[in-house]
Amino acid sequence: MPRLPQAASMLELYHWEPNGSWLKPLIALHEKGLKFRSHYVQVLSLEQHRPGFLPPSRETQLPLEGEGPILIHDGRQVTESLFIMEYLEDAFAQPSLRPEEPILHARILAWGRFINEVFMPAVSTLGCQAYLAPQLQAQASPAFAQLVAQIPSNYVREAWQSALANFYPQDLIEDSRRKVALGVRRLEDALASAPWLVGAGYTLADIDAFSICHSLPTLTPDLVSESATPQLLQWLARIAERPAVRAALAMSRTGRPEQAFAPGPEHSRWG
Amino acid sequence: MLTIYHWEPNANSGKPILAAFEKGVEFESRYIDMLAFEQHAPEYLKVNPNGTVPAMVHDGVLVPESTVMMEYIDGAFAGPRLRPEDPFERWRMRWWCRYFDQVVGPSISMFGWSFFVGPAMRERDPEELRARIERIPLKERRIAWSKAIYGTFSPEEMAESGRRIAQGVRHLEAALSERAWVAGATYSLADIAGFNMLAGLPLMNPQVANDTVTPHILEWLRKINERPAIRRSFALGRTELVRRYAHLDRNAAPAAGGQHA
Repeated sequence: MPRLPQAASMLELYHWEPNGSWLKPLIALHEKGLKFRSHYVQVLSLEQHRPGFLPPSRETQLPLEGEGPILIHDGRQVTESLFIMEYLEDAFAQPSLRPEEPILHARILAWGRFINEVFMPAVSTLGCQAYLAPQLQAQASPAFAQLVAQIPSNYVREAWQSALANFYPQDLIEDSRRKVALGVRRLEDALASAPWLVGAGYTLADIDAFSICHSLPTLTPDLVSESATPQLLQWLARIAERPAVRAALAMSRTGRPEQAFAPGPEHSRWG
Repeated sequence: MLTIYHWEPNANSGKPILAAFEKGVEFESRYIDMLAFEQHAPEYLKVNPNGTVPAMVHDGVLVPESTVMMEYIDGAFAGPRLRPEDPFERWRMRWWCRYFDQVVGPSISMFGWSFFVGPAMRERDPEELRARIERIPLKERRIAWSKAIYGTFSPEEMAESGRRIAQGVRHLEAALSERAWVAGATYSLADIAGFNMLAGLPLMNPQVANDTVTPHILEWLRKINERPAIRRSFALGRTELVRRYAHLDRNAAPAAGGQHA
């Protein structure tokens, strides 16, 4: 039964479909048995960029992972999906999804940097091309384009404009596929020698990577398949069976969360 | 036994060094001369196969990534706490470290490489340089070095980096006008990361960071510059680079209005 560990604490999560960045805190909240108020954001209608949506804080006015979830705890905004999970660990210690040993925490954070800076941007580009762009072709209007033009963050605005125009240069797609293949290879190699990414058990690193990989059997079936990545598929299935993960995925309203994409983190500009 | 492999004690190399000195942790310093490409030499690749600097090894275990090394140092050793106890301030520390790592730092380093590293490199034998670049293990680093060495950053790229530096400076100035330290009431890893990224900025981009436009940043840099740990960190430098921080000395002429350019 979900419970409130501290009487005064109030947790709210603004999220969209359980995929990518939005999936991570949903899984963590369910794993930790934390009661929270869910606010489902109509990301494809740009609800998050309309007047009247949450006024951002000093930090949250500059998104670092593109469109993503916002946790509100006792009135304070917490963003960046991995760091939301880290925050939940710091604020609500038990049950723990993060080992005490500093070297294991360091490995979680190091996976996190790779996932956020290389893997997520690439998966997001491919997902936006496959699913977001066609949806926008069907629904977009001049008013919508105008709303997009007012998005303050340059890279987020430009990624929405690319989707609106269905503009994905071949070199961007090839670079994204290269990065997805690199990430998939790293995960498959890590999972060949151990059932979980960091240490002996399931941790934030698994939730972080799972949330990004969940769409890949559909999005890039040539890169993630029974023949190409058997370990990765078994690991995905092991995680998907967990009650907390099932509960998080059950919060989908479309029934196809693995096809829910909106602009993600920026591709790194150089080395 | 803790060993830190580092170049000059600023930017990414400066982060674990300063964190270790602040924590009072003894470590073995191994200077890697990046301008001599020692970071791509076989002996170093045995330590860190990615060929990136810094690297840190604790009791035979490699700890990756400079920001992660700082978290590790704070978590693994006794000493003054470098991460806020309050979960929200700790989140804010991580947010700023990521902002420095992904947005501000690469933009500043594009300027640094373009103005300092590139010109120094182009005085060397072109054939040797080509061979050095081919030996770099990570594709991203190969592209970065090649752009820096041959000076092929486009005007658009440089302008975008300039815009990001200006945004970062504005944003940090606003944050430091609200609180004493980057993450909140206490000195943290976010200050260590920020100092190592930004200490040279009043000299390199004096029109962006100076006593008139960004008084809080200048005061914050000077405050950190006075810490004993910074003196010990600078002592590990071998080039002129740390002398460039003389502008933060309170007894030196104020860095106002950009006359230092």
